[in-house]
Amino acid sequence: MRLIFLSQDQLEAEERLRVQKSYSTALVSSHREPPPYGHRKGWVPRSLEDFADGGAFPEIHVAQFPLEMGRRKKTSNALAVQVDAEGKIKYDAIARQGQGKDKVVFSKYTDLLPKEVLNEDTPELQKPDEEAVKELTEKTRLALEKQVSQKIAAAMPVRAADKQAPAQYIRYTPSQQGVAFNSGAKQRVIRMVEMQKDPMEPPRFKINKKIPRGPPSPPAPVMHSPSRKMTVKEQQEWKIPPCISNWKNAKGYTIPLDKRLAADGRGLQTVHINENFAKLAEALYIADRKAREAVEMRAQVEKKMAQKEKEKKEEKLRELAQMARDRRAGIKSHGDKGGEDSEARERDEIRHDRRKERQHDRNISRAAPDKRSKLQRDQERDISELIALGMPNPRSSSEAQYDQRLFNQNKGMDSGFAGGEDETYNVYDQPFRSGRDMASNIYRPSKNIDKDAYADDLDTIMRTSRFAPGKEFSGADHGQRRDGPVQFEEDPFGLDKFLEEAKQHGASKRPSTSSRSKDDYHDKKRRKE
Amino acid sequence: MDVQKHSVHTLVFRSLKRTHDMFVSDHAKSVALDEESRTGASVSDIHRHAGGAERSHAHSTVVVGYRVFQHSHLVQLKFPNEVQLYLFIICLFLFQSLMEGGGTRNSALTRKAPTMPKPQWHPPWKLFRVISGHLGWVRSIAVEPGNQWFVTGSADRTIKIWDLASGKLKLSLTGHISTVRGVAVSSRSPYLFSCGEDKQVKCWDLEYNKVIRHYHGHLSAVYDLDLHPTIDVLVTCSRDATARVWDIRTKANVHTLTGHTNTVATVRCQAAEPQIITGSHDSTIRLWDLIAGKTRVTLTNHKKSVRTLVLHPRQYTFASGSADNIKQWMFPDGNFIQNLSGHNAIINTLAVNSDGVLVSGADNGTIHMWDWRTGYNFQRIHAAVQPGSLDSESGIFACLFDHSESRLITAEADKTIKVYKEDDTATEESHPINWKPEILKRKRF
Repeated sequence: MRLIFLSQDQLEAEERLRVQKSYSTALVSSHREPPPYGHRKGWVPRSLEDFADGGAFPEIHVAQFPLEMGRRKKTSNALAVQVDAEGKIKYDAIARQGQGKDKVVFSKYTDLLPKEVLNEDTPELQKPDEEAVKELTEKTRLALEKQVSQKIAAAMPVRAADKQAPAQYIRYTPSQQGVAFNSGAKQRVIRMVEMQKDPMEPPRFKINKKIPRGPPSPPAPVMHSPSRKMTVKEQQEWKIPPCISNWKNAKGYTIPLDKRLAADGRGLQTVHINENFAKLAEALYIADRKAREAVEMRAQVEKKMAQKEKEKKEEKLRELAQMARDRRAGIKSHGDKGGEDSEARERDEIRHDRRKERQHDRNISRAAPDKRSKLQRDQERDISELIALGMPNPRSSSEAQYDQRLFNQNKGMDSGFAGGEDETYNVYDQPFRSGRDMASNIYRPSKNIDKDAYADDLDTIMRTSRFAPGKEFSGADHGQRRDGPVQFEEDPFGLDKFLEEAKQHGASKRPSTSSRSKDDYHDKKRRKE
Repeated sequence: MDVQKHSVHTLVFRSLKRTHDMFVSDHAKSVALDEESRTGASVSDIHRHAGGAERSHAHSTVVVGYRVFQHSHLVQLKFPNEVQLYLFIICLFLFQSLMEGGGTRNSALTRKAPTMPKPQWHPPWKLFRVISGHLGWVRSIAVEPGNQWFVTGSADRTIKIWDLASGKLKLSLTGHISTVRGVAVSSRSPYLFSCGEDKQVKCWDLEYNKVIRHYHGHLSAVYDLDLHPTIDVLVTCSRDATARVWDIRTKANVHTLTGHTNTVATVRCQAAEPQIITGSHDSTIRLWDLIAGKTRVTLTNHKKSVRTLVLHPRQYTFASGSADNIKQWMFPDGNFIQNLSGHNAIINTLAVNSDGVLVSGADNGTIHMWDWRTGYNFQRIHAAVQPGSLDSESGIFACLFDHSESRLITAEADKTIKVYKEDDTATEESHPINWKPEILKRKRF
């Protein structure tokens, strides 16, 4: 048996033919199958179902779009799959969408792998040679100059009109030829002239309008791994507490005290005091004590010395006095022999003593000049001291007192106030108390203080016992003993009892509102007042 | 001697590492196939598959001597019947295809032994001068082309000019209303440019020590500026997310480079393409086309704000610094080369030497010194603050090599300028290289 090796398509076609033949007598089939190969003359596939899972039919010369492939879609952002020279699919076409095909865009993984460490001499690492660089420099310079000159020319003031290029002639051969067109001529000559620009013309268009910026160039693919995810712990580490100022509170927030002091950090530090402070304090204390002791000792010593000196002097003086007394006694003893009358002698002695006393006083006053007399002392006191001591008297004179400076003046009207000087203190002309009439001004209360009020004999008035509160009127009732100034009667309505009961009840069982509230109200009123 | 106990993983890793170090210089490549071992292996495979064919008695011997073994080993195999022979030939074909597929790859390259990059030795740097005189943070430095003096801009609103050799103050310029964030000295004309947080960009004439031009247009604080080496053009970058290109002579704003979405922190200019590079607080770096005023490439590899950029003086590469790490890139398309990780701080400034020393200065006052090519961190410095300053007042805002590349000048937050130089007494033996690269770093995917 010859084996006929048939291809897959042929097998299918035969199958289909068989099926069709079998179904030709049966019901009409729902699927419209395309006619088999060879039987397709005049048949045109028009709808999707005509293709029936297959492709386009090359022998039918009609534009066919099986599976809607190949139709020109109006808007689609689908990129056609492109394949490079080696047959690999160019996946970076997506990254290169909006740009020219020779723009350098790094999108492959190999672009971010480190390369071989190259030797220094490899040609890839060498700078381009001088000529290329010079050329580039020249090109750049010219381009930049053009830009700059354009910018400057736009800003420059009006200059003379530019000379236009001379007229150009163009020979034009129109496509529509014929006797009617162009009056039979085959060609035309056109003279092209640049239109003159008015040099004084202001700019034609407004350029102060702001328009939104155009879309930026397509973003470059990101050539690094995405940043690591932030863990909750790390986020907590970077939390910054809100600032609570000790000085400002703009929104007027009420912030609890512990938060106010939270940022201070005062409680966190342990206060370290240098021990030298304590040492210093102790040293000062000791020094002070020592100094005091030294001073005291010195004072004592000095006092002793002074006392000794004083005693010495007194001794000396006593001796001198004794000597003088002896001398005088000696003299006196001479005089005594003259008058031996005892009275005369007594009188003499008295006289002598008195003289001696007077001399003594004079001596003391001479000797201790700082021991002023009381009068002198009072004279030198300040006026406020005198007032405090209660010494002065208000001015007893009742007549009007005039400023002594007003009298005996030979100046005119504007002579008052010492010419307007503010510095001089010239409010008063005489001192308040000169102290001359101190003695007469001293107030001494007399015995009859209450003379005006009670007449002359205050004592007799005090001793009368005519007025006794307990004394009754003659003819009045007896037996009423007085407890106080006002005598209350026995209450006829029994209010006392009632009130007492009420108080008791109120205290124990139910609070009585009426009496209680009244009391409270009064209490409160009193308290308020 | 006690044996240190390690986990199995550690031991395996260590033995792998040592094997690599001994036999393989290039860690990125897989192990090269050795001819003899390969032939031995294939022979044993064939023996296994043929199933003891040689043991049988001589029925038909097949001398297989063509192309399978490059060293023309002849192996005599005996097969009992034809079927086994055919199977053997099929197996041979399969092996050959496998081996040739690998062979072409290795045949050219196995000739040259791949070299493990060893970092170049650099002498360590040490502090040799502290210059104080500013009354506020020193924010920026620039050195004049003749290497005689350098300029610093500070938060005390003054610009001071110092003599480079002695460190003495030469001149103080006032005029800014707020912190001076950037200074630059022109090599083509006797001008000094300064920009500040008061939105002003000033051009000072150094012959008269006066401001002669203002470049007006920025809407917010101007953070950095740079001069184009060959064209008379100034580029400034600002907190208003733009960089502006100014014509120096006419004060015209030639281009406004928009595209960044956050403060543009740093800008650099060069003569080759791309002429302007900006780094911004939106963690992107943009390479710009100066002619068109448009972005050419956007590099989004950084995760945090890019605060600093530096261009290598001789190579066609640049580096960018950010708080996550420092990355090296290639021009003109900005292909990523490698990461320099290890400086775990906010990097405020980078500077590069012709010898390949990269310096990174951070906001906490630390300086790391790297070998540019391999990324080996050979030194870490944390200079003490000026007496009278708090310890927290240590931070580096700008650092720069002078034109002789022998002095490193740093502008710091304790109001001083520190000058570092290489330690001459150090040798390779006294400061050995302690290079421990991560082997797992360069896996092929």
